[in-house]
Amino acid sequence: MSGDIILRTHNVSKRFGRLNALNGVSAEFRRNVITSIIGPNGAGKSTYFNLLCGALRPSSGRIEFEGRDVTGLPQHRFAHMGIVKSFQITTLFPQLSAHENVRLAAQTRVTVFDMWRPRASLKMLNEQADFILERVGLGHRRDRPAALLAHGEQRALEIAVALASEPKLLLLDEPTAGMSPQETREMMDLIVRLAAERTIILVEHKMKLVLGISDWLIVLHHGELLAEGAPDDIKRNELVKRVYLGQRDH
Amino acid sequence: MADLTLQLLGLQLFTGIALGALYVLLAIGLSLIFGMLTVVNFAHGAFYMLGAYVGLWLLMHGVNFWTALILVPLAIGALGLLVERTLIRPLYGRGLDYPLLLTFGLSYMIVELVRVFFGNTGYPVDTPDVLQGAVDIGVGYFPLYRLFVIAATVVVLVGLWLFLERTSFGLIVRAGARDPEIVRILGVNIARVWLIVFGIGTGLAGLAGLLAAPLQGVIPEMGGPILAESFVVTVVGGMGSLLGAVVAGLLVGVVVSMTSLFAPEMSRVAIFALMAIVLLLRPQGFFGRAGLMS
Amino acid sequence: MLLGSATSVAPDTSERMRGFLSFAQRRRAWLAALFLILFPLVAPFKALAAMILIYGLYALGFNILFGYLGLLSFGHSALFGTGAYFCGIAITHFGLPWWAALALGVLGGVLAAAAIGALAIRTLGIYFAMVTLALSQCLYYLFYEATDWTGGENGLTGVNVKTINLFGFHLDFVNPIVHYYVIAAFVIVALFALSRILASPFGAVIEGVRESEARARASGIDVARVRFVTFVVSGAFCGLAGALLALHLSIVPIETMHYDTSGLAVMMCLLGGMGTFFGPFIGAAIFLLLENLVSLYTVHWQLIVGAAFIACVLFFPRGVWGTILQRSRT
Repeated sequence: MSGDIILRTHNVSKRFGRLNALNGVSAEFRRNVITSIIGPNGAGKSTYFNLLCGALRPSSGRIEFEGRDVTGLPQHRFAHMGIVKSFQITTLFPQLSAHENVRLAAQTRVTVFDMWRPRASLKMLNEQADFILERVGLGHRRDRPAALLAHGEQRALEIAVALASEPKLLLLDEPTAGMSPQETREMMDLIVRLAAERTIILVEHKMKLVLGISDWLIVLHHGELLAEGAPDDIKRNELVKRVYLGQRDH
Repeated sequence: MADLTLQLLGLQLFTGIALGALYVLLAIGLSLIFGMLTVVNFAHGAFYMLGAYVGLWLLMHGVNFWTALILVPLAIGALGLLVERTLIRPLYGRGLDYPLLLTFGLSYMIVELVRVFFGNTGYPVDTPDVLQGAVDIGVGYFPLYRLFVIAATVVVLVGLWLFLERTSFGLIVRAGARDPEIVRILGVNIARVWLIVFGIGTGLAGLAGLLAAPLQGVIPEMGGPILAESFVVTVVGGMGSLLGAVVAGLLVGVVVSMTSLFAPEMSRVAIFALMAIVLLLRPQGFFGRAGLMS
Repeated sequence: MLLGSATSVAPDTSERMRGFLSFAQRRRAWLAALFLILFPLVAPFKALAAMILIYGLYALGFNILFGYLGLLSFGHSALFGTGAYFCGIAITHFGLPWWAALALGVLGGVLAAAAIGALAIRTLGIYFAMVTLALSQCLYYLFYEATDWTGGENGLTGVNVKTINLFGFHLDFVNPIVHYYVIAAFVIVALFALSRILASPFGAVIEGVRESEARARASGIDVARVRFVTFVVSGAFCGLAGALLALHLSIVPIETMHYDTSGLAVMMCLLGGMGTFFGPFIGAAIFLLLENLVSLYTVHWQLIVGAAFIACVLFFPRGVWGTILQRSRT
């Protein structure tokens, strides 16, 4: 399956009032690879990201997932199809334990409105939650409320919660924001491991960070597609260099 | 016959505008307070009732109506300042529900306090001598006092408009209602702005209460129904929008008076039906921004 | 860090307290049932005890929405009142047996909740309290005007049930003790149902939506629908409470629908402890006992209750039971 197109945007734009945040971006995302969306501040990365996961609706243009038009569907429908995002600013269920955070995310695939069965009877979900927690290295924090975890642990839990939804397509918004170099390395390792089984789209401000792990790069600038290509091509691309160098002048 | 119906409709329209004027005064206060402080003031009806009672007390003690018209908003506004400073301010940053719950508890106490001093039963309030009688307004004779209510509201609105448009304080209020961040960035003492806005809002509620007193008399429970109706006005007009408060206030007033002409038993229900329709078609209200809702 | 330091220096008594509380949490419905069965032995007035049960159930229904989901409604009197009127009308106008009337009361609460919920859910956050208040006021006027059915201003009188026939037994509903236990039986059933719902997958979803709407949505939860369904579930509990009130009083006063009755649920819930299992009943008990005690000395008991509520909002937002739970944890 590797190599076919999982997600495609046709000429999508997003306006906020008079502001054109995104202007006619067309791109394709291949299955089971890591694609990174990069660009300087204000390039429209976050807007594009939120269109891809259904948190925002495009003002115009079309989004296709696995060949199906999904433009304008509510976000929970995106999640059911297997498009799941993690947040740039950690967004968890703060009072719930790490385990319950993951378990609840997994549960929504099975049932939302079941009011009668005890939730403990859904044993499979408990086991799955524990498995995922181990996987992201949080097994020892199982019963601790999410709010009391360290920053790096919360970022890992954020990924675990996203994984619990069994995403075909995992969208990560600056997953290493605010992390120490050590935590950043661990997170990058984790992302590479996860990519073995699913498609990953990564939004990142720092190009250097993702060049090494990405299979494909999409560069946005002023809300438009500036360039796309394999890491080596992007590294040598004059336009990209100029944009990023221009940034550094400030 | 046709003339008579037209005349009746015309008069009823003016009655509706007079009623709407009261809604406008209340809803503008609610909207200002919400727009700036993001506080839903559940005590707004109680301040309205208190304005009517303070007015009654002043009139009973020989103060003339015109002086009361100045003193009542000042008194209720001052009480508003006190309430914001001592009770509501400690709750900022603890979630939007807490100031709401507090003002609810406050209204509960204010109503009971009024019962302590004035008893459970209501009082009629005399229309001031010079405003008694009716005048010909083209479509027929219309009570002079209702005309005065409309005029007074127009004066207050013009004053408020000048205040918001022409003073630097007004500039801050307008900017703050649109985007609280901006005000913070400008380095304005936001706490003082909030305090004053709350005082203005409650003062307007007090004024509305006094203006309503000669029309309906006063009872301790008069603030309850009008609170619900003012909420309808702010929801229909769009929360935080002053223009919305004016338009929706007048509309609701006219809807009430027109339905009471054709189907008196439905007049109370009609405005809620109006709100239901607006919620279905345009949940953010006439002039509200969708962003405020989520 | 917080957790660690607390456990290392905790004295014995608080250890025992914590043990009891965790036991109370696990066996919450059984414990509540036991208490309600013993309650009339200590309560001075059976009628007051029954009122505490009914208003406790009403506050509990409200708590599902406010405490567990985090949505503040000021229109719950409409759910409570519709339940009471449906039950009362079933008995006075149609001569239905008491159990059918109770079932219709629950249905009334559900229908009112569905109608109000469908509209109010279209607005969010701070709007919600305003819209629910306005819509409940609308229902108040509708019931007020429909005098043929509801008795209007004078209330619906003649909701008389003298005996409760159950599996061949004829219970004398006029006897205060029997009267109390019949009501208690329904409240206990409701408590078990709530306990079950809270422990269910849907209970987890409710907590999740309260904790983070954005996270819930990203995890595939249809937040608007969860809010609506919770509102309707809350309506079923409040409708049952209203129906029991109609049976208890033999009359449905129009005040049942009034805005003040919505405020009652808010106050009881907050006084007792929102989002806790026992909180609403404790809040209802505090409120009604305060009312009964203070009104011995002054008719203006609302001043004292209002002041207690304001103090609660300012200093004890977790309420009595919530504060006890929190103290025992840290």
